[in-house]
Amino acid sequence: MTVLQRHNVKVSGRGERAMIFAHGFGCDQNMWRFVAPAFEDRFRVILFDHVGAGASDLSAYDPARYESLTGYADDVVELARALDVTDGVFVGHSVSAMVGVLAAKKAPELFRDLVLVGPSPRYIDDEGYVGGFSEAQIHELLDFLDSNHMGWSQAMAPVIMGNPDRPELGEELTNSFCRTDPDIARRFARTTFLSDNRADLQGVNTRALILQCSEDVIAPREVGEYVHRMLPNSQLVILQATGHCPNLSAPEETVSAIQAFV
Amino acid sequence: MSDAPTVSPVEPPSEEDFADLFEQAPCGYISADPSGRIQRVNETLAAWLGLPKAQMEGRRFQDLLNIAGKIYYETHFAPLLRMQGFFHEVALDLVGDGGRTLPVLVNAVERRSAAGGAEFIRITVFNATDRRRYEHELLEARRAADEATAELRELNATLEARVAEAVAERLKVEEALRQAQKMEAIGQLTGGIAHDFNNLLTVILGGLETVSRQVVALPGSPATERIERAVRMATHGAERAATLTARLLAFARRQPLAPKPVDAGRLITNLADLLQRTLGETIDLETVSGAGLWRAMADTGELENALVNLAVNARDAMPGGGRLTIETSNAYLDDDYVAAIPEPVTPGQYVLIAVSDTGTGMSPETLAQVFEPFFTTKDTGKGTGLGLSQVYGFVRQSGGHVRIYSELGEGTTVKIYLPRLTSDQPTAEEEDRARDAPVHGGMETILVVEDHDDLRSYSTGVLRELGYRVLEAANGRSALEVLQGANDVALLFTDVVLPDGMDGRRLADEVQRRRPGTKVLFTTGYTRNAIVHNGRLDAGVHLIGKPFSFNDLAIKVRAVLDS
Repeated sequence: MTVLQRHNVKVSGRGERAMIFAHGFGCDQNMWRFVAPAFEDRFRVILFDHVGAGASDLSAYDPARYESLTGYADDVVELARALDVTDGVFVGHSVSAMVGVLAAKKAPELFRDLVLVGPSPRYIDDEGYVGGFSEAQIHELLDFLDSNHMGWSQAMAPVIMGNPDRPELGEELTNSFCRTDPDIARRFARTTFLSDNRADLQGVNTRALILQCSEDVIAPREVGEYVHRMLPNSQLVILQATGHCPNLSAPEETVSAIQAFV
Repeated sequence: MSDAPTVSPVEPPSEEDFADLFEQAPCGYISADPSGRIQRVNETLAAWLGLPKAQMEGRRFQDLLNIAGKIYYETHFAPLLRMQGFFHEVALDLVGDGGRTLPVLVNAVERRSAAGGAEFIRITVFNATDRRRYEHELLEARRAADEATAELRELNATLEARVAEAVAERLKVEEALRQAQKMEAIGQLTGGIAHDFNNLLTVILGGLETVSRQVVALPGSPATERIERAVRMATHGAERAATLTARLLAFARRQPLAPKPVDAGRLITNLADLLQRTLGETIDLETVSGAGLWRAMADTGELENALVNLAVNARDAMPGGGRLTIETSNAYLDDDYVAAIPEPVTPGQYVLIAVSDTGTGMSPETLAQVFEPFFTTKDTGKGTGLGLSQVYGFVRQSGGHVRIYSELGEGTTVKIYLPRLTSDQPTAEEEDRARDAPVHGGMETILVVEDHDDLRSYSTGVLRELGYRVLEAANGRSALEVLQGANDVALLFTDVVLPDGMDGRRLADEVQRRRPGTKVLFTTGYTRNAIVHNGRLDAGVHLIGKPFSFNDLAIKVRAVLDS
């Protein structure tokens, strides 16, 4: 299985320059369905799923490799090189914004521009740093995930029916997008919400656009401002859109902000 | 005209009806803008959460969720709603007044404009308190079932280990049994050979004795000197052969033992000179005797043989000199110890004789074979390979136990455990002093029963030469016929093993029944339980082992007749 198959890579567009879209915790490359098409005329658009998400190769999920964001960044470098990307644009949402920063630091020749949608180098508040969550809240989240089924009540169906080996029995009822393996989702949440990559922002000189939503529970405005301060070559744009996914809730605003930047 | 009742027309539901349906429905309703901000909420949900409707309107739906719900809503369900236009039966926890938690199932649908833009979302909330409890119970039951399965698996796994252990133990026992059977088979074989050899040696030695007695009567000449020299050499060779067969019998445990009370410490002290001569000048002999040593029960001659054999082995293991230490002490073999050794040994009190050298030692492979007869590490012609097998056979036949500890380069210790004597019989020495009687013949009538023709004629020849009147028979039945015609038989001298269904013991019993007071002397080169119980002479039974000399027979016969 090639790295492209492993990540369910989809390439489209008529441009020369590569634009890679990376999804965050919670969904897959579908997150970009309202944004990516807008760049197909000028860019070679590359979409992919992180290992453990969407239609990626779940068997390639190695808990040790993906214990930190470095594992995800290594994947980005590997697949960008496989696609001969140089001086491209990296668009990362949520946790993948930091994955892009790590990849750019590791292989500066890959990306000339970084678009960071709702980035956060650390979710837990620290002395002199607002992350948006107290340590207790994050542990409440992780404990909840460890001890409980989260959200997907239908995912319970096969368990309750005693047919965990035949998930298709419960599949018809299940929501069709953003399906995740509960165990991988739990591990990805741990990696994401316990991450602290503030030090990795040091020495990154790549041009960067930070897209910050108003009223984002997951990455509040203070975090966007912090990232902007730490990246010397960055712009901060505060979107009208609320929530954590402007790429879905306000695609036009998101597209025009990115277009203005690239 | 019809009498049919008139059906009043159904009136369209009023505003109040709808309002009532919305507010009092058995589920919670929320209308929200595309970002989730609540525009309308019904009474049912407000009541469940204990929050006034006015306090909920203007907040976002995700603000009503617990922390995990907030994050999952933002990262999973809001994107899902946006992408597919709905989500179904999502399990979330709402946080109500005072932090109370309400488990719910949530359905949501996004209403879109003709252009596809989101206009508003409708959220339906079902109270899932019972269902969640039920799910938890199922999960708990499943977890308990998994745990039970795991326990069962664990049990199975350890069962396998336990079975494997038992099988290994069984294999060990079988191996020990095989070893014992092998030793037994070798014993049968050597015992049989030795028996035949003894018969032949008795004839050879007897013939040589006759030759030497006759030659003395001839006038001296160079020829008679040569004959005498040849007889001496042949006798010496035959005696050595007899010693060898005695060792074979010892290994085969067919050698009749005459166990006597023995003071092992004194026996070793008396033997020290001989041992030192055996060891040579380069090896020091040290003897250590424990205080209050118990007396043992053993055949003293064989015990001495065993110690000489061990000394010879030790000498050969210390070509450059060294030290041989013989220690005696009291010992107790407990149940655990005897359970761990292959041969049957009775737990209890023993006298321990430990013979240690500072020699080359043995490898485990050699150690496994040392008790086998003819096994030797010495060059051809240097050793018979019967030394340790004599020790083993003798000790086992005496109801004792032998253990060898040896490591290459470290030396060897052989431990002999002999059963402790519990009664107070006199020791062998005390008896020996009484036995040195002068040799002479007599006039009594002796009935000789022996199936081996040469042997019989040798024995009758010796006895006649000693002046006795001799009757003879080749088997038990003809012996009884001979007895019938003679009423003065003083002694029955019979082989133990006889053909035609009547062995020496039964014959002796019959003779003594018919002629009470008749003395009996058995002879054998090979004996079975007929005369030997567990290798010991029955009390009161006299035995002369083959091969025997003129003198041996003369002394023994006289002693029995006089007893």
